[in-house]
This record gives sequence, C-alpha cells and structure tokens, in this order.
Amino acid sequence: MESLNLKKITSLWIITILVLFVVAIVLGIVMRLNQGEVIKLEPLAFYTNMTTHGITMIGIWFVAGMVSVNYLMERYVKTSYSINLFAFVLTVIGVVILWTCTYIGNFSSGWTFLYPLPLKDSGSAPWATPMYLVALTILGIAWLVWSVSLMAQVLKKYSFSQLLAWQHLKSNPKVETPPFILISTVTLIGVIASLIAAVIVIVLYFAEYFSNGNFVNDALLMKNLTYFFGHTIANEMLYLGVAVIYEIFAEVSGRPKWKTTWYVALAWNCSLVFILTAFFHHLYMDFVQPEGLQIIGQLASYLASIPAVGVTVFTIILAVYRVRIKWSIVNLLFFIGVIGWVIGGLGAVIDATISNNVVLHNTLWVPAHFHTYNAMGNVLFSLAFFYWFSTQHIKILVISNQTLYTMGLLLIGGIGFLIAFYMGGADSVPRRYSTYPSGLASASYLAKIGASFAMLYLGAVLIFFYNISKRCFGILYSSPY
Amino acid sequence: MQQDSILHFFLILAAISTIVFVFVFFSSWQDDTNNEGVKNALRKRFWFILILLVSLGIFASVTIPKSPYFLFADEVPSKIIHVSAMQYAFLLSEKNIDAKNPVGESIILPSNRLVEFRVTSLDVNHGFAIYNSEMQLITQTQAMPGYVNSLRYKFDKPGKYQVLCLELCGVGHPVMQSTFKVQ
Amino acid sequence: MFRNFIFVAILAIQSTINAQHNISTLDEEKNIYEKISNVPLKIVNRDDVRKFELLYKEKPVILALVFTQCSGICNPFLIQLKNSLQFIKTDKNYQILVLSFDSRDNLESMSKLAKRFELDNAINWKFAITDSIQALNNSVGFSPLWDSIRKQFDHEALLVGINQEGYIAKKLIGVRSHYDLELMIRSINHIYTPSYKLPAKNSLFSCFNYDPLTGKNTPGTGLLIIVLPAFITAIIILFVALISRTKRLSS
Ligand code: HEM
Ligand SMILES: [Cu+2]
Repeated sequence: MESLNLKKITSLWIITILVLFVVAIVLGIVMRLNQGEVIKLEPLAFYTNMTTHGITMIGIWFVAGMVSVNYLMERYVKTSYSINLFAFVLTVIGVVILWTCTYIGNFSSGWTFLYPLPLKDSGSAPWATPMYLVALTILGIAWLVWSVSLMAQVLKKYSFSQLLAWQHLKSNPKVETPPFILISTVTLIGVIASLIAAVIVIVLYFAEYFSNGNFVNDALLMKNLTYFFGHTIANEMLYLGVAVIYEIFAEVSGRPKWKTTWYVALAWNCSLVFILTAFFHHLYMDFVQPEGLQIIGQLASYLASIPAVGVTVFTIILAVYRVRIKWSIVNLLFFIGVIGWVIGGLGAVIDATISNNVVLHNTLWVPAHFHTYNAMGNVLFSLAFFYWFSTQHIKILVISNQTLYTMGLLLIGGIGFLIAFYMGGADSVPRRYSTYPSGLASASYLAKIGASFAMLYLGAVLIFFYNISKRCFGILYSSPY
Repeated sequence: MQQDSILHFFLILAAISTIVFVFVFFSSWQDDTNNEGVKNALRKRFWFILILLVSLGIFASVTIPKSPYFLFADEVPSKIIHVSAMQYAFLLSEKNIDAKNPVGESIILPSNRLVEFRVTSLDVNHGFAIYNSEMQLITQTQAMPGYVNSLRYKFDKPGKYQVLCLELCGVGHPVMQSTFKVQ
Repeated sequence: MFRNFIFVAILAIQSTINAQHNISTLDEEKNIYEKISNVPLKIVNRDDVRKFELLYKEKPVILALVFTQCSGICNPFLIQLKNSLQFIKTDKNYQILVLSFDSRDNLESMSKLAKRFELDNAINWKFAITDSIQALNNSVGFSPLWDSIRKQFDHEALLVGINQEGYIAKKLIGVRSHYDLELMIRSINHIYTPSYKLPAKNSLFSCFNYDPLTGKNTPGTGLLIIVLPAFITAIIILFVALISRTKRLSS
C-alpha cells in the first residue's frame, strides 16, 4: 500500500501544481485583456507572458499526470520514492530557471521555441536562449529518469509483452494486465520518445550555438523534431489522466473494476503508433514536407481518436448508462472532463483535416481546441484525482451545494472562455498576436469576453485550490501512526 | 465561407455529444435497481468502432483530394510572385528578390487567373496568409528559411487583399503585413 | 559529457563537407517566368538562321551558356551535364542548346566543341551561336565579365530551363546534381512542384531529397533523425526490460 512518504511527496506536488496553475491562469487572463485592449502591455511583455503561460501549463499538467500515475502504480508495484523526490526538486529548479529566462532575460519565442527564432530574437538577453535550453534539459532529464524508472518497476512484475497486454489478443489469457498498467505503459513509452526528441532538438541547437556560424541547422528537420516533442508530450499528458480514469472511475462509483479485453489491448497498442505519427499535422502548411507524410499525418490524427473516443468514452458511457452510481465530486469531474476531451477532440480532428487546416492553421482555432481538452478535460481529470487523493481517509464524497455551485462556475467560465476562442478562429483571428489589427473587427471584442469568462473559471479554480490544498497540507504535516 | 460551415459543423457535433452525455448522466439517477448495468464495461462493442472508422474513412477520402498540394497541379500559372518574408515585413515582387539587397514592389494581380506565390524567408519562420477584403483568411503557406513553398491560387473577386504573418517571428509579429490588389 | 561528444561528432562530420553558407541565395529565382529573348540562332550543321522561338515551340529547351576558349568551368560543366543526362531516364521532353556567349566563337569552333564531347551526332543536343547575345544574356540574367589580363570571361555555370511557351521555368547555377536537373526537366514540362529546397545550404541534416523523376522525396539524413527518438526509446525500453527480466526471474 502507499507509504506515508509517497503521500507526502504527492501532497507537495499537488500544492505546487495548484499554486503555479493559479498564477498561469492569471497570466492567461492578462493576455486576453491585452488582446481586448483593456490593458496595454509592450509586445515583448506579452510574448514573455505567453511563453511563461505555455511552458508552465504544459509542465504542471504533465507532472500532474505523472504524479497520479506514480501514486496509483504503487497498488501494483513498488515505485521509487527517491526518484519521485528527485523529479520534484529538478522540476522546481527547472521552473525557476525558466521563469528567470522569461521574466529577466525576456525569452519570448513561445514554449515550442521553434527554430531559428530563439537564435535570432533581438528582444531577449543573449543568455536567455542558452539558459532556456539548459532549463529544458534539466526538466527533460528529470522526467526521463522518472518515466524510465516507472517502466523499470512495472517490468519487474510484468514482462514487456504482458505490459502491452499482448496475451489478451489470444483467447483465454492466463495473466490479466490491468487496463491502468496497459495505458500507463503505452503513455510512458510515448513520453520517453517525446523527451528524447526534445533532447535531440536541444543538442542540435547547442551545436549551432557553439559553432560560430559554421553549423547551420535545417529548418524543416528542426520543425519536425520540435513537434515530435511538443505535440506528443501535450497529448501523452492527457493519456496519463485517462489511465487514472480507468483505475478509479469504477471504484469511486461503487462499481466492479474494469478489465482489459482483446479490443482494449488492440486499441491501445495501435494508439502507441498513431500518437507518434500524428504530429505531422503541425506541418501541413509547410509544402516542403513530402505529401506522403502529410497524408499520414491526417490519417494518424484520425485514427488516434479511435482508442480515445471509440474505447474510453464509450466505456464511460456504458459504465454510467442506466446504472445507479454513487455520484461524487470525483467521478463528476471525470465525467465532465471526458465531455471536454471529446469536444476538444472534435475540434482537433476538424483542424487535422488538411483542407480545413488551410484556413484554420495558426488561427485562434488552435488554442480553442487545445484549451478545450486541457482546461475542460485534463485539468478536470487531475483535479478529480487530487480530490480523491486528498479525501481518501475522510470520505466526504457527497455532493454539497457548494460543490455544485463551484462546478457551475467552472463550467460557465470555461465554456464562455472557449467559445470566444472558437469564434475568433472562425473569424480568421490569428493566434499569438499581442494586439489585433483594426481590420479584424470581432477580435478584441471576443478577447474581452474571453477574459471575463476566464475570471469565473479562475474563481472556481480558487475554491478547488482552497479545498484541496487544505487537506494536502494536513497530509503533509501528518505524522506516522 | 468555409470557416462558417466548419464552426457550424463543430457546434452541432459538440451539441450532440453534450446531449448524449447529459442524457446518460440523468439515466443514472433513475431508480432502476433491477438494472445492474453493464458488468464489465470494457466488453466488446465492435459495431461502435466500426461506424467510427467508416465515417472517418469517408471524411478522409472526401477531404484529402482538396488539399492545397493537389489543387491546380496541372495548370500553368499566368503570374509568378516572389515573396520573401523577413522580420517584420513581406517583400512581394514580380522579379526575383536578391537576398543580399532585398526589395519589394507593389503588386496587382489578374482575377480568375492562376497565380503562383513562391514563398521563402530570409531569417526565421513566418506565415504567409492571404486575407480578402472582408478580412477572411482564404489561403496560406509557411515561409521557411532555406525552402521555397509554391502556393497557387485563383482570386475570383477583385479588390484589396492583405497578407498577415501567421507564425510567431518576434515582437513585431502582429504588425507584419502587406497588401496587394486584384483587378 | 555525452552532449560534448555529440557536439564534437557533429563538427567532425561537418568539417568533411563544405557548407558554409548562412544566407541562402535567391539568384536562381531571378527572371523566373520571364520570357526568353527571341534571338536569331545559327545552329551547327544547319544552314538557315532560326529564331529561338522555333526551337522552344518544338520542344522545351535546356540552355547552357559557354564559350569555347574557356579554361575554367565550361568544360567540366558540359561533361557533368552530359553524364547526368545519360543517367536520367525520363519520358519527358527536352533538348539541350549549347550557346556561345563569346563573339569570337563561330560555327566552326562550336562544331569542334561538339565533336570534342562526342555530341555532334546526338539528336537532343544543338550547338549554336547568335549575333544578339547581349539581349539573350539580359533576358536570363547572365552577366559574364571580361578579364583582359587572363583573356578569359569570368562567369558562372548557368543552365536555363525554357518551357514551350518560351518562359524561363527554372534556373540552375553551378555544377549540380542530376536531381536538380530532373527537377528542371519537370518544370519545363509544366509539372507543379509544391516546393523545393534552396541550393548552397548545409544539407547534412536535410530531411528529403526531392526526386523530380518520380515526383517523390527520397529520405535524407534528416529523416533518420526524425525516427531517432522512437529508435532510442525502443533501445532504452529493451535494455530496461532485459535488466528487469533477470531480476524478475531470479526473485
Ligand atoms: C482559464 C485558463 C486559461 C486562460 C485564461 C488561458 C489563456 C491563454 C491565452 C490568452 C493564450 C494565448 C492565445 C493566443 O495565441 O493568442 C494561451 C496560450 C496557451 N495556453 Fe492557455 N489559458 C488557460 C488555460 C490553459 C491550460 C489549462 C493549459 C494547459 C495545458 C494552457 C496551455 C496553453 C498553451 C500551451 C498555450 C500556447 C502558448 C504559445 O502559443 O506558446 N492554457 N492561453
Ligand atoms: Cu510573424
């Protein structure tokens, strides 16, 4: 069972994540206010905010997934406390360096740091780019070690083929691979691949940086690698949350635990491949990319939705449909999160269609869909886990009125914020603009609306933050009994 | 406009999914104690996946041929425009642009004739997005240093068109734009 | 440590190839889709004077500009062109026009040049002179400089691809691979190329080499790098799996 140490480090993670979340939301609102011309920031200040918001959000929701998976994995195998702690320390150091780079060094090339902008950005301090890369290296190494160690632990109990549930593809498997283990494995493999892609990008950057102009990278290669990393990690962090759903949704609903079947095994094995090739859809508008890869990009993006929607969502629906369920804030958050995930996925599939991408690429449609499955999907998965974790001993899982109001606030705020993004996308409003050209009539108006609704969302998050961290502090200061 | 139908399509799908979920949610409040639900929810639901696969397949085969790489492929452009993007301007010219001494010129294009933009960048990645006079995005390609992307388009309406940059290229990104006329 | 090692390795590979250009040149984009000057041509083994127009209307033209007394690039350039074209198997139409830009050349010296390269009987090759070379040079953006000390022209090796409408569809500067030549043959036959890489850039890590013959891209070194993350991941997992397996079996 979970040791006290594990509970404490998990609490520490949760509190840290929530603090950073609140700050990053404020940055997001500041951006929307600036785009709505309510406040006035210098473009440089806007772009440092944007970079900080992006990298912080990706970072915290990735580690949130890792933390939950690590905690639940303890039910099956022993995990390493020291590596968990090590990851925590390096993550905090990494984040501090990143914030230094953006706020003191004015690093402002966006969280994906697309080559060659960071090398040719006049706005930032000369040390900001190398230091940003160093910070990413620290995070990359910490997370790599963490993922590989989790893999190593499960591999001590299951063989590699059992981890991928290959025995379920035959009839009458002798050993059962729990769905949680299967999904965590598939996801961790993707996480490791994406982190290695990041390391390669960073090495190539440094090679150019130190070569005094003798070595110049190929922009197309760098873009491919960048999105191998960026797209993959942003997607895998969602699947970490999904693994958690498979493990505890049935449990908190008072239902029998879900079991792996042959098609669940097949679907997740396929998704291993699709997730790693879907990133090509970020290069649709680079006509230099061979057409074959573009089409692979569209097909892989489509197919990646099958295990997600076809299996997980369908499973959730079946698990709830006409079944008397103990509803609590935990499974309610999961349930609503799945809706957000599906809707964000629809937006993504539409955008991953090349002929639509021509008019949607790099418009607000892009932040629209990824905020849908993050702010209204993955975040809710993680908050559900946080709630479940923080209350597991006290068992106050009934839905109070206060809970309902908070959820309502979260929903209204989130939906309004997102609709402003979607409408902006359909109105051809570009993403990553600090202020909008006057010709784009609706743009700044929509930004104001988005900012207002985002404040409601922030309000709801603050209530959750209070409730969860209060209990997490309790765990943190509890003594062994 | 394509964007409007996309938005409507999306909103309809989103509404349908929400309704399904809400319906399922309320079904779980019914006091139907006899119904034990599905014992193992991960049981085989082959047909559902099949329907999903088929509809995605249809969607893909309808949309892929409309990809920009296949449009106007076997026509001869009646006009070539060279485009060099740089922080923070677009240079458009009917003549070649010299990378060491880049200059652009004002451009007037014929309507209903095939135009080819040969787009490249002199520094970082930029986007080359064409907006019509109602500020609707009609087509785009990326401007990548070291590569030339050939974007083909037939303008059916005369008027003033704007070019905006759609790839973050530094602090001047939101003011990086250009215009041309179609007659 | 590892980082340094990779860095040194990259520099080592780097120094063996010669690619120093930071700015890509756009010179080859000059005069694209402009009309070639319709100069009169005197062609070896033909008696009449023909307008250029007659030539390109019959078949798309690859124009090579040379002079017979060249002690520099012209000879290797023609040899390379001849060799590359022999390798190219294509059903596309084209002819090669080798034109002198030196007013000292005449039909006789050009005919000798053709013989020297054993091209005097090749149907696709034509050797010619013109009395209006300046107009032609202007129309293709070619500007040889006379060096009176060496008694030589200082000039670049230029190939101009002209389609059947007389427009310059593609230019190639310098001695180039047969990939580029194929791309030129496709362009003058009106085949749309959605994109291409600019020359004179470091191509060590470039992802694709466009093969104009098939219209396909063949994987370059860069593509290997794109699959590298997946590959390293596979190795790591295999490694961890092996170690854990021994532990699992022994316990
Ligand atoms: C209500 C909360 C949030 C608000 C108000 C907000 C706001 C914003 C805004 C205004 C932008 C810039 C859009 C543009 O390109 O013009 C942005 C970008 C972004 N947001 Fe959020 N956001 C929120 C939540 C999240 C969450 C939960 C994530 C989780 C992953 C996230 C990740 C990102 C990323 C990755 C970017 C892209 C940054 C870039 O372009 O480099 N955001 N957000
Ligand atoms: Cu830009």
